[in-house]
Amino acid sequence: MHKHIVRLLGLIAIFALISIAARAFFTDDSFYQYGHYRGNSPAEIASKVPKVKGSASCQSCHKGIYAEWVGGIHRKGTKDGSIRGLVVKYGPNCEVCHTAAAGNHPSKETMPLSIEDKVSTITHLKQHTHATNVPGKSLLLSPEDARSVCLNCHEKMPGRPLEQKQIEIERHAGVEMCVTCHNPHSPKIDFASVPRLVAMQKVIPGNAKAGKEVAKNCAACHGVAGVSLSPAMPNLAGQHAVYMDGALRAFKSKSRDNVMMSTLASGMSDADMQNVAAYYAQASCKVTGGDKSKIVAGKSKAEEAGCAACHHSRGLHGSGLAGVSASQVWPNLAGQNADYLASTLKGFKDGSRYHSVMTSVAKTLGASDIDNLAAYYASVNCK
Amino acid sequence: MMILPSEEEMTDQDKQKIEEDAFMSRRGFLGLLGKCTVCAGALVTATSSANRVLSGDKGATFQQSEAQHIESLKNPPKIPDYDWTKHQWAFGVDTDRCIGCLRCMEACKAENTVQEDSSHHRTWVERYVYLEGSDKALVDSQADPKNIQNVRSETKFRFDNRYKDVKVDKAYFVPKLCNQCENPSCVQVCPTGATFKAPDGVVLIDATYCIGCQYCVQACPYGARSFNEQRGTAEKCNWCYHRITKGLNPACVDACPTGTRVFGDRNDKDSPINMFIKNHRVQVLKPEMGNAPNVYYLGIDREVS
Repeated sequence: MHKHIVRLLGLIAIFALISIAARAFFTDDSFYQYGHYRGNSPAEIASKVPKVKGSASCQSCHKGIYAEWVGGIHRKGTKDGSIRGLVVKYGPNCEVCHTAAAGNHPSKETMPLSIEDKVSTITHLKQHTHATNVPGKSLLLSPEDARSVCLNCHEKMPGRPLEQKQIEIERHAGVEMCVTCHNPHSPKIDFASVPRLVAMQKVIPGNAKAGKEVAKNCAACHGVAGVSLSPAMPNLAGQHAVYMDGALRAFKSKSRDNVMMSTLASGMSDADMQNVAAYYAQASCKVTGGDKSKIVAGKSKAEEAGCAACHHSRGLHGSGLAGVSASQVWPNLAGQNADYLASTLKGFKDGSRYHSVMTSVAKTLGASDIDNLAAYYASVNCK
Repeated sequence: MMILPSEEEMTDQDKQKIEEDAFMSRRGFLGLLGKCTVCAGALVTATSSANRVLSGDKGATFQQSEAQHIESLKNPPKIPDYDWTKHQWAFGVDTDRCIGCLRCMEACKAENTVQEDSSHHRTWVERYVYLEGSDKALVDSQADPKNIQNVRSETKFRFDNRYKDVKVDKAYFVPKLCNQCENPSCVQVCPTGATFKAPDGVVLIDATYCIGCQYCVQACPYGARSFNEQRGTAEKCNWCYHRITKGLNPACVDACPTGTRVFGDRNDKDSPINMFIKNHRVQVLKPEMGNAPNVYYLGIDREVS
């Protein structure tokens, strides 16, 4: 045999030997045990530590809030926790809104991360590690965060099933935060604790001086100082600026129905609305006396029917100003025309005007209740 | 006297008649042999598959030899309190109840440390919208540029309310995840044995053996796989294997606030997934691909794939 052939065969043999040795050395012993893969890997994958731990892990420390959640409608979406015969876990738990506690919670010992998560081999500029790896990220949500979280599920949107409670935020709350009325852990409104906390989105205050010019267009009905010339029209003096601004926007967009006001508002810019609202807000209102017995009856009815929850400055759980609403988004009733108030309540009652809360409240009121309430609020000073 | 025709004058019919008269001609014998073989084969297949159905043994999983199958039964991996031969996991998605809140995606990312931007995901949600008078669905997901622009963040997943001012005939959300197919294309193409079908029905990735070639990402007909640049490996849903082997639900199932996602063991007749399949008419995605998915959908149109 020629020499060069022998050399070539020798080289091939050496290469084959190295390959076989390398294969024996590098291939894991458990490879091919159950198939064309490493037999140890299923156990390794299964050994990772779960991070989403469920509400039970929050319960041990946050007992009060856990109890609120368990008793509320966020625990179960249906009465018996089943739908179409199929029993399922239902309703958002703690981690749906607060994110997984592991690696994100102040006490790291109780919420450890798994080893795999602490190792990252390649760092890529654009792809950050997930927020759960960032120490010190707060699990508490600010009112703004909470509003965004609530809307995540409850914003009215095509594609969401009808059973899901959905709102149009502009009509439902305006710039007010969800947590003013709702306890997110148990969102069905408990009027005894409204207002829970008043936290509005940032509102740009209007310029009252500039507003005085705009107000000339309004004076024919609402008076120069915001006290109306006719009892059928609302007083604007001392009204909350944010509420008035919102009302003007509603008239402009025709989501609130009034031909006269829609025509006037359509000619106003956003700045005009803010300014005129600021102008009337700083005016002082005029109180009208009335039938004493009606006023006394109206005062007790305001507490009983729940009007005080929103329209008294400290709700039902304090001695605040009567008729001055806790939130800037809700209207003041103090010093309002009795006739106008009564016709508004009747409008909510007969359905010609709609508001999610007011409609349901007005339906509980009789004709005499409406008269008494209107007389009472007309007699209270707004400042 | 009967006159036989000469050999040359015989018609084909005559020849056949003579052959049939013989007790067993060569042709008859061969025909019978063929028929017997087919029957015997069918009998063996029928009895063995019947035995398997009766004994509850599904047989070897995808790309597993008989010897390896027996090994997986006799000597299963050492996972505490878990025997992978006793479970057959399956997943159900009730799209009638999905509200598109994407909390499943958030929970999945936290649980499995997936990259946080909205284009990397193990599970995601698609929105199908049919505008008034249109038979063609408009499809978007949380990774749509307009949806990202709307929340001004790639790490908050949210559907933009872009259809609120137009008339919509029909719209629904469809959560998607790995189908853990019976015949997974991704496993078939993996050159290193880094991804495989476990006997309990889950397709797993062995991150230490993955070389990041992304062939599996291309092979998956459902787009369920993505590439994790951070780890340099392929990424996909494994139904939270580390949770289900501890008796927990996958993170997305626990996070879903509406009960859209259903999970359970097909071997347990009262499990949520068996109740789901029993009580509804369900379907799988792209049945024509032959992958035989294990995720069952309720309430989707033909357009969803």
